[in-house]
Amino acid sequence: MKIAEFKSLSATPRGYRIGMTARLAALLLGFGMAGLAHAQDAQTTAATVCAACHGADGNSLAPMFPTLAGLQENYIVKQLNDFMSGKRKNDMMSPIAAQLKPEDVQPLAAYFSKQKRARGTSTNRMAASAGKVLYNQGNDETGVPACIGCHQPKGAGSEGASGLQNYTYPKLANQQIDYIKSQLKNFATGERSNDPNRFMRVTAKRMTDEEMEEVAQYLAGVGD
Amino acid sequence: MKKILISIVAIASIAVLPLAAQAQTSQTWNEKSAELTKVLETKGDPERGAAAFVPCQGCHRSDAMGKSSGAYPRLAGQHASVLLKQMTDIRSGLRNNPKMEEYVEDHLAKPENMADIAAYVSALPIVEDKVGRGPGTAIQAGKTLFERDCVQCHGNNGEGDAQKFYPMVAAQHYRYLLRELHYIRDGDRGNSNPDMVKVVKPYREADLEALADYMSSLPPPKK
Repeated sequence: MKIAEFKSLSATPRGYRIGMTARLAALLLGFGMAGLAHAQDAQTTAATVCAACHGADGNSLAPMFPTLAGLQENYIVKQLNDFMSGKRKNDMMSPIAAQLKPEDVQPLAAYFSKQKRARGTSTNRMAASAGKVLYNQGNDETGVPACIGCHQPKGAGSEGASGLQNYTYPKLANQQIDYIKSQLKNFATGERSNDPNRFMRVTAKRMTDEEMEEVAQYLAGVGD
Repeated sequence: MKKILISIVAIASIAVLPLAAQAQTSQTWNEKSAELTKVLETKGDPERGAAAFVPCQGCHRSDAMGKSSGAYPRLAGQHASVLLKQMTDIRSGLRNNPKMEEYVEDHLAKPENMADIAAYVSALPIVEDKVGRGPGTAIQAGKTLFERDCVQCHGNNGEGDAQKFYPMVAAQHYRYLLRELHYIRDGDRGNSNPDMVKVVKPYREADLEALADYMSSLPPPKK
């Protein structure tokens, strides 16, 4: 419990370090509200650091920025860790992630994963219906697997079962169209390479630009 | 002295001949690679296998029934040894399957992943409704061919032989069977049993279709 208090202190968004004396003082004062402190910290960080792009409740308002609301906690943790270690790079996100402390990651991920994801809308019905077929059936000819295999019906995603060799497949439903397209592109070129076992790099490389557009259109308006 | 020499030569040729005969076939078909030996010795865990199989579901589907389009075979209920042999052959490039090879380079690099997947998938039920059957117009002709040329290895009911890596062909998708028969006949599969290549070499198009029609119509054999 005491350790947790420590961490919550140093997990402040502004990222200042609290000196040893202050930490000891805090311990001596012994405020027993570590859980709450975590939650407030994450919410404050979300509001001050993340909100401008991702929305305070994790529902992004700009097409190029991903919605984080309702995304699996494990997945957010992995992505933040990857941004911090440089395994995943992005001109906007990398410098911001560099300001985060390791202790910030879990509470932020927990916060965003608990927010309700808003419904999105597709902007091209024709493309969306082609995307639905691709999502559920894949492309037999070119060897694009059906997205549903990992990302589940209607882009719900799946949580890795703990203790098993497994991965968390991110929730894609109602995600921003441009964001999905940009990630597929980045996987295809290898610019993004933090997918387990190259699954997405291999898959995206087999997709046409049109297919990327279609599947993004389908997911954006997939509903609940 | 002469006697001894003769017997030495005799023993030597007995020892060498089978090796020489084997050398022609082993590399291309059923020689156990180091990886196959390892995965056959590894005890698979079906529960872990279910998790490791998730990335395979995009093609082989969540029930491992594959697709009736023939693009992806039914794996459910297939012998574990056959699944392991095919996985290792695709990984090594012995079986020509560029679509799958890229996906399994990393994912199946751990022997336990392969053993787990094989344990899980081989125990899955075969959903008969999902088998893509042939047109049903050449079943009798296919049966005649099957009983003449195939039963010795693939069994009377198309059940295959786990010990010898002969796949269960009953209740496999028609279009997949037809595709593989073409690959095997025309030398495009890579890891075909040369004995089978010889058998199907003279087959005409109609024969291949009849054979696939019959095999896809066979009910799942009782285990």
